[in-house]
Amino acid sequence: MRAPATAGPHAGVPVAPVQLSQVSRRYGAGETQVQALAEVSVTFPAGSWTAVMGPSGSGKSTLLHCAAGLDRVSAGRVLLAGQDITHATDAELTRLRRRTVGFVFQNFNLIGSLSAEQNVALPLRLAGARPSRRDVQTALADVGLADRGRHRPRELSGGQQQRVAIARAMVTRPSVLFADEPTGALDTGSARTVLRLLRRMVDAAGQTVVMVTHDPVAAASADAVVFLSDGRIADHLLRPSAAQVAERLTRLEG
Amino acid sequence: MLRISASTVRDRWPLFAGALLTVTLGVALVQSSVLVLVSTGEPTIPPGASGRVAEQIREGYVGAATLLGMATPLAMFLAVFIVGSTFAFSVEQRREELALLRMLGGSRPQLIRLLLGEAFLLGLAGSALGILLGMPATWIQARLLIGIGLLPGDFSARWSNGMLLLSPAVGIGVAVLGVLSASYRAARVRPLDALRSAPRATRVMTLGRWLWGVSSLVLTVMLVVAGHGADLLGALLVAMAIPVFGSIALSALSPLAVPLVGRLLGTVLRTSALGELAQANLRDAVRRSASTAAPVIVLVGLLVGLTGALNSLARAASADLERSTAADLVVTSTGAAAARIPQIPGVALASPQSQVEMSVTAQHRVDHRSYRQTHHWGITAVDAAAYRRTHRLTLRSGSLDALHGRTVAIGPRLAAEGVRDGTVTARIGPHKLKLRIVARLPEVLENGSDNFLVPRDLMPTAMLADAPTETLVQLTPGTSPQAVADRIRAAGIGEVRTLGQWADARVETQQRGTMGIMAVLMGMSGLYAAIAVINAVVIAAAERRTEFAVARATGLSRSQVVRMAVVESAAVTLIGLLLGTLVAAAALASFYPGPGGVHVLSVPWTLLGLLIMASLAVTAVASALTALTATRPSPTALVAARE
Ligand SMILES: Nc1ncnc2c1ncn2[C@@H]1O[C@H](COP(=O)(O)OP(=O)(O)OP(=O)(O)O)[C@@H](O)[C@H]1O
Ligand SMILES: [Mg+2]
Repeated sequence: MRAPATAGPHAGVPVAPVQLSQVSRRYGAGETQVQALAEVSVTFPAGSWTAVMGPSGSGKSTLLHCAAGLDRVSAGRVLLAGQDITHATDAELTRLRRRTVGFVFQNFNLIGSLSAEQNVALPLRLAGARPSRRDVQTALADVGLADRGRHRPRELSGGQQQRVAIARAMVTRPSVLFADEPTGALDTGSARTVLRLLRRMVDAAGQTVVMVTHDPVAAASADAVVFLSDGRIADHLLRPSAAQVAERLTRLEG
Repeated sequence: MLRISASTVRDRWPLFAGALLTVTLGVALVQSSVLVLVSTGEPTIPPGASGRVAEQIREGYVGAATLLGMATPLAMFLAVFIVGSTFAFSVEQRREELALLRMLGGSRPQLIRLLLGEAFLLGLAGSALGILLGMPATWIQARLLIGIGLLPGDFSARWSNGMLLLSPAVGIGVAVLGVLSASYRAARVRPLDALRSAPRATRVMTLGRWLWGVSSLVLTVMLVVAGHGADLLGALLVAMAIPVFGSIALSALSPLAVPLVGRLLGTVLRTSALGELAQANLRDAVRRSASTAAPVIVLVGLLVGLTGALNSLARAASADLERSTAADLVVTSTGAAAARIPQIPGVALASPQSQVEMSVTAQHRVDHRSYRQTHHWGITAVDAAAYRRTHRLTLRSGSLDALHGRTVAIGPRLAAEGVRDGTVTARIGPHKLKLRIVARLPEVLENGSDNFLVPRDLMPTAMLADAPTETLVQLTPGTSPQAVADRIRAAGIGEVRTLGQWADARVETQQRGTMGIMAVLMGMSGLYAAIAVINAVVIAAAERRTEFAVARATGLSRSQVVRMAVVESAAVTLIGLLLGTLVAAAALASFYPGPGGVHVLSVPWTLLGLLIMASLAVTAVASALTALTATRPSPTALVAARE
């Protein structure tokens, strides 16, 4: 089953940065085998923001991991930024992680011993660049944390930590940002801030965002929504409202 | 990269403090051993010392050097082993953080460089501290060697600037070597591991671990086979090598034993929920369990194995001495007093052996190299006929019947030293005379045997009268040894012992130096292993804060959580003790009495018992304390906290 290419405001951009064809992912073997993804084909167009939704255990995180080259697929092909990464070497994947993709996850994943500034600068340093303090401070200012650069993660609230994580993901200007429940642990206010930041990445910088979420309101901020069920793509919506999303979701779960 | 290392070190100091401590102790230990060893290489003979005194000092130095030559490599091994397992464990604890670095674009080589860089810094810091700590350690080691009589009281180890090179090389080398394999393993963490905060079911028995473990095991088994039927020296060498390779093998393979013992624990504690939980934890944290077990394995394997080997060797020497000596009593007295022994009723034969002050210069030839050597010690004046009847020896050549007048017999101690046939030059007081070699005695096991036997009629009477003398006494059949001993004592002749007592005491005196070194080695490896065990427990407890909190939130009381932790660590310690005992048994296998030879097995049961109790106590106390600390904050605070 092939989901029609979801169209975003930047639908004119030729190369789809993320494309999965007939991707399956199985965990374990024998009796305990789990089919997390079953022949999923989906395209995330450049400069668009796609939300991935579905019941718990439907394979959303797995889809994200496979698309980002964090996990190997059992069958099928994955294209990332025009490169076939299905059998990419570790060095190739590392290069992609440095230049092309960024990650934001539910549980923030900051390094506790480093300050916010150091956390933000880390991907650039790992890539061998010497980020200027200005760049780092600009990134933090973009997420509204200009004055918290010297603080350690444990001195920041959950929403602030998530914004640091987003600043860290933005600082390398990745063409694709993968986010797994980025608002999952946040209150409504912080969640709204995070969604505004993602919107800005897509609109201002033309970056592509793939976001897993359980929240219809968050999904409504996206350009398109893909619904997963039992490891298959069950449905999709373009420019949905929160009510539409909620309704489809209920139908899926029911 | 270095900045990341530095802030990681600052933030997670318990992880690094343990590693730093092990490096520091290792450097101090190796440095002090080497300094003392080097200083024993050049004996300082006080000016004006007689040849006799000089030779004694020199012999002491040689003995100390031999012992240190044995102890230094063992100290090195301990340092590498303990530092290695501590580092490997601390790297394992940082999996998630390393995976996050991978996710953010860190490459494998970068991760390896990061860990090696940290190890380098720790090695450098540990070396600096170790050099400082090495100074008092050197002094203590020298004092110990003086205390056991191997070195003269005015001995002091000289500082050598070479240490400024050697110690950092040891510290950094040990640290980098220790982290090398762990860093390669860590570089293989998948970026995805950063997302799994739940305990991961990663494979513990990696291919490398299998290879390392199995090849060491094969080597150990080969050593055991080689030791079977080896002579005593061979058995001793094998017993020294087996604890090293056996500990490596069983530590690497110990994760295989964890589930077994877990199941055992499960059947014992089946009924209690606590036991079930402890068993499950044990199974789930195989890697942590293995890290706690490793130092216990090496501790028990090394100490019990070596002590058992040395004790067995001593027992064999004393049995050999007893077997080759045909006497009922041994009297220690002056030569003058010894002359009265034959008159005591019940004495059938008395063979006086007097240590005489003279020197003998002999021509040696060993491996095409000829040299002259003057001996001042181990020259014994005997009555040839009585000597022959009190010693069951098969001479290598010649006959003791001819040992009269200007003659000499080559003693057991020089049997293998290539003394050339013909004559030797002797000096007795002011006189210089040539003695003809008439016999050569066979080698014996004990260390303190004679260099030369000379006939009593060669010696001036006054000299014999003063000489310290041991007289081997045979009794007339049917007399009570006790009665004769009492009569000799009553006559005020000297100290009387049975043959067995005499042989044991004699060997014990000779072994005193070895045992002293063993005591030092034991103390320091015990301390070392204890630190490594505590280290593993503390690091693990820090990691388990949240797990403990969840357990409490689920309804376990604080004391139940603590008890669970104690039961777990006791089980892990038992695994270590079990495997360590296995290593020790392998080391001692070649002493097991078999056909041929005088192999005598002496198992140090007391030491084993002490080690078992001490290890269990240390791990129980450490895990109870850390669990108490980790459960101090309210559980909800921890369950909620996430970073
Ligand atoms: N490492 C793994 N081993 C075995 N099974 C796994 C593994 N990871 C995921 N699964 C299984 O694959 C299926 C999909 O998991 P996935 O994490 O993708 O779900 P999800 O849609 O993200 O769920 P949630 O909304 O709860 O996060 C689930 O049934 C899960 O149990
Ligand atoms: Mg998920």
